[in-house]
Amino acid sequence: MNMEMINYKDDGQFCSGHVACAGCAEALALRVIMNAVGQDAIGVVAPSCSAVILGGHPMSSVKIPFIHGTLESAAASASGVKRALVAQGKPDTTVLCLAGDGGTYDIGLQSLSSAAERNEDILYVCFDNEGYMNTGGQKSSSTPLNATTGSTPTGKSTRKKNLIEILAAHRIPYIATTSPSHLNDMAAKIKKAKTIRGTKVIIVLIPCLPGWGVADNAAVKTARLAVESGVFPLFEVEGGLTYTMTKATKTQPINDYLSLQKRYRHLNDEQIAQIQQDVDEDWQRLTTRAIEADV
Amino acid sequence: MDDMQRSTLWTDALSENRLTGTWRNETPDYRNLPSPCLGACPVSGRIADWIGKVEKKDYRGAWETLVDNNPFPAIAGRICHHPCETACNRAQLDETVSICALERFVGDTALSEGWAFPAPPANAPAQSVAIIGSGPAGLSAAYQLRRAGVGVTIYESQDQLGGLMRYGIPAYRLEKSILDGEIARIIDMGVTVKLNTEITGAAGLQELRVRHDAVYLATGASRPKPLPGVDYDQPWVQDSADFLAATNAGQDCTLGAHVLVIGGGSAAMDVARTARRLGRKVTVLALEPEAMLPAQRAEVIEATEEGIEFVTGAMMQSAEPGTDGLRIRCTRVDFKRGTTRGAFNITPVEDSEFTLTADAIIPSIGQDADLSRWQDLLAGDGPVLKADASWHTGLDGVFTGGDVASMDRFVTQAIGMGKEAARSILVYIAPDVGAADAPADDPEAGFSVINTAYHPLAERNKPQNADVTARLGNFKEVQQSLDQSQAMTEASRCFSCGTCTYCDNCYFYCPDMAITKLDGGGYEIKSDYCKGCGLCVAECPTGAIRMQEDL
Repeated sequence: MNMEMINYKDDGQFCSGHVACAGCAEALALRVIMNAVGQDAIGVVAPSCSAVILGGHPMSSVKIPFIHGTLESAAASASGVKRALVAQGKPDTTVLCLAGDGGTYDIGLQSLSSAAERNEDILYVCFDNEGYMNTGGQKSSSTPLNATTGSTPTGKSTRKKNLIEILAAHRIPYIATTSPSHLNDMAAKIKKAKTIRGTKVIIVLIPCLPGWGVADNAAVKTARLAVESGVFPLFEVEGGLTYTMTKATKTQPINDYLSLQKRYRHLNDEQIAQIQQDVDEDWQRLTTRAIEADV
Repeated sequence: MDDMQRSTLWTDALSENRLTGTWRNETPDYRNLPSPCLGACPVSGRIADWIGKVEKKDYRGAWETLVDNNPFPAIAGRICHHPCETACNRAQLDETVSICALERFVGDTALSEGWAFPAPPANAPAQSVAIIGSGPAGLSAAYQLRRAGVGVTIYESQDQLGGLMRYGIPAYRLEKSILDGEIARIIDMGVTVKLNTEITGAAGLQELRVRHDAVYLATGASRPKPLPGVDYDQPWVQDSADFLAATNAGQDCTLGAHVLVIGGGSAAMDVARTARRLGRKVTVLALEPEAMLPAQRAEVIEATEEGIEFVTGAMMQSAEPGTDGLRIRCTRVDFKRGTTRGAFNITPVEDSEFTLTADAIIPSIGQDADLSRWQDLLAGDGPVLKADASWHTGLDGVFTGGDVASMDRFVTQAIGMGKEAARSILVYIAPDVGAADAPADDPEAGFSVINTAYHPLAERNKPQNADVTARLGNFKEVQQSLDQSQAMTEASRCFSCGTCTYCDNCYFYCPDMAITKLDGGGYEIKSDYCKGCGLCVAECPTGAIRMQEDL
């Protein structure tokens, strides 16, 4: 068989027995990230699915300590932890900050923006499942156009916020997107981010099984189609200006991606065409930037 | 304080104390399933297995897997009708895998490396089996029986072994050195051969029954079906089997410059293309319309390339010698396939008569088995010998197979029948030794269980044919072999349907770390933690895992 083998090493940094839903892609991503980050790290987690998966007091599913912060202040808490480590003479310890899209795009945006502006030395990972999924599935500013949520029962009327452009405007050293369908890419981006000093933000697309209406075994397939259709392109932004596509081709129309999800099943042809057009235009803009950066 | 204690000092316990396996109502089950190619293969060859070995450059291992079921990979790799390629799941993604060409590659490698079959046990065999006929069925049975340590004697009426493979298949499809090499390897296992020994009639068969523990009767179908209305005594008529036997033995063709071959099957193509190579102008006349010709499609295409003219959907009514050759009166026919194999109905189309000219005709409408010589002992079943599912004829200890016992007339089908009969014979002569495994009733690994995300589109390495101009005037092989790098890339196109390739996808895609990699290959589900989500099944590239309901 002519396939790419998955080759990151699982050192047991993320443990069985966590309470993520069966088939959860966020747990799958946590497995890769916790093993890529390694033992010399301290975590901060905003209220989110991750907080639930990591904890369940008094037990922990990870082998590094985590501070469970507030929804507004994850990046601020992480900044403080890092400065304390530096003061203790441990500047090489990674501070990993985890939050969902609610804690990143909406409620935690102010503290993330501040930390980024100060270029705090933290590795911030946003699990983007495009909504407040562990409170029953309300829309966030990351919810895409026309997707239904508990609070947008007929579909959201506005587009998904482009957080990457906001972050790029801060000119932080490293921003990347990654997907649970591309585990080698995910491990490589975490490892690369670990070697960079300053604020690093990695956005992971997490198809939420109950929130998006995806089958228990289909999170990876959905994430893969998001990448292959260009809905969720894989790329890096260095220094806020240098765009690099890590998967340079868009091979699928969006129909297969949409049809796997109940949150899109009300779409009419016109709406699908609109989404396709948006995806095509965004892809064009993004790849143009990447080409310009390459010159 | 060890590392583990230090690293978890800040928490009371790890989540491993929570057994999430209780959430589950389905469990992944690792089970290799038969691939569609295996299901289609007349010898039930484990195709996904041996192609996997080719990909790892383990040619010897691939050959050993191949010859488990078929001692003739170099022959089958040339002339098999390869139903495996039609069944191949990959055809639904881009193009079928060139299984037949890969088999030829492995078979040719074995011949050029001189690999031999393992010698059977040295002590004299306790039992012996007589095999009548050394075509593909007879030799396949001889091989399987000898491999199991049974003594084998082959009785062959001709002066060389091979049957149809030698006397019926021209060298441009199957080089004689290949045939000789693969037959010699079987004989070298210690098979006794009696050439020029025709077993005639009931008495001869009875004698063999006394002398041996069992008899395998595989005399083929060598009697040409007579074409009604043709006088075979005319000098301008030659029977197809005689023509092929003579030309395959290197004799020249004595027929005139323009030959009319009557028939649309593989044998007709062999006759036509042989005559063409001997410098004749050739016309093929067949009842079937072009698209329904029973010959393999590639043969018809290659024959057309070689300048053979086809007159299809028509039949001959009469042939008379005229001043400049034969005048052959024909009529168009309306051809309808019947309900049973080989059966058909034709209705001549009114006022559609036309005339062909030629110097000779070679009727080539198929061959019958000669059953008359066993008349008093063995029952017939229509045109073939009667046999039960184990290929037993009903006469104690006498088994049969191949063309004499079946209307499945491709070479590899005969090889498969020989294998099956050998198994039955082993059970018959030594019930405790030869008991066959019960056939598994696992479902086939169809296209729906293949995760095509892991199989990027890749162009097929098709075997190439020699240039048309280089083909005429000689009997050099038409089909060329794949080279090593083509074989490797072609092998990597195989999905390995239903076969675990130890790619570790299931292990890495488990969100619950509920799969253990076992030393020495394979995986085990941790029942304590598996939540039964099925991601491992969905992300298996080959369909070698399935979900089973917990009871």
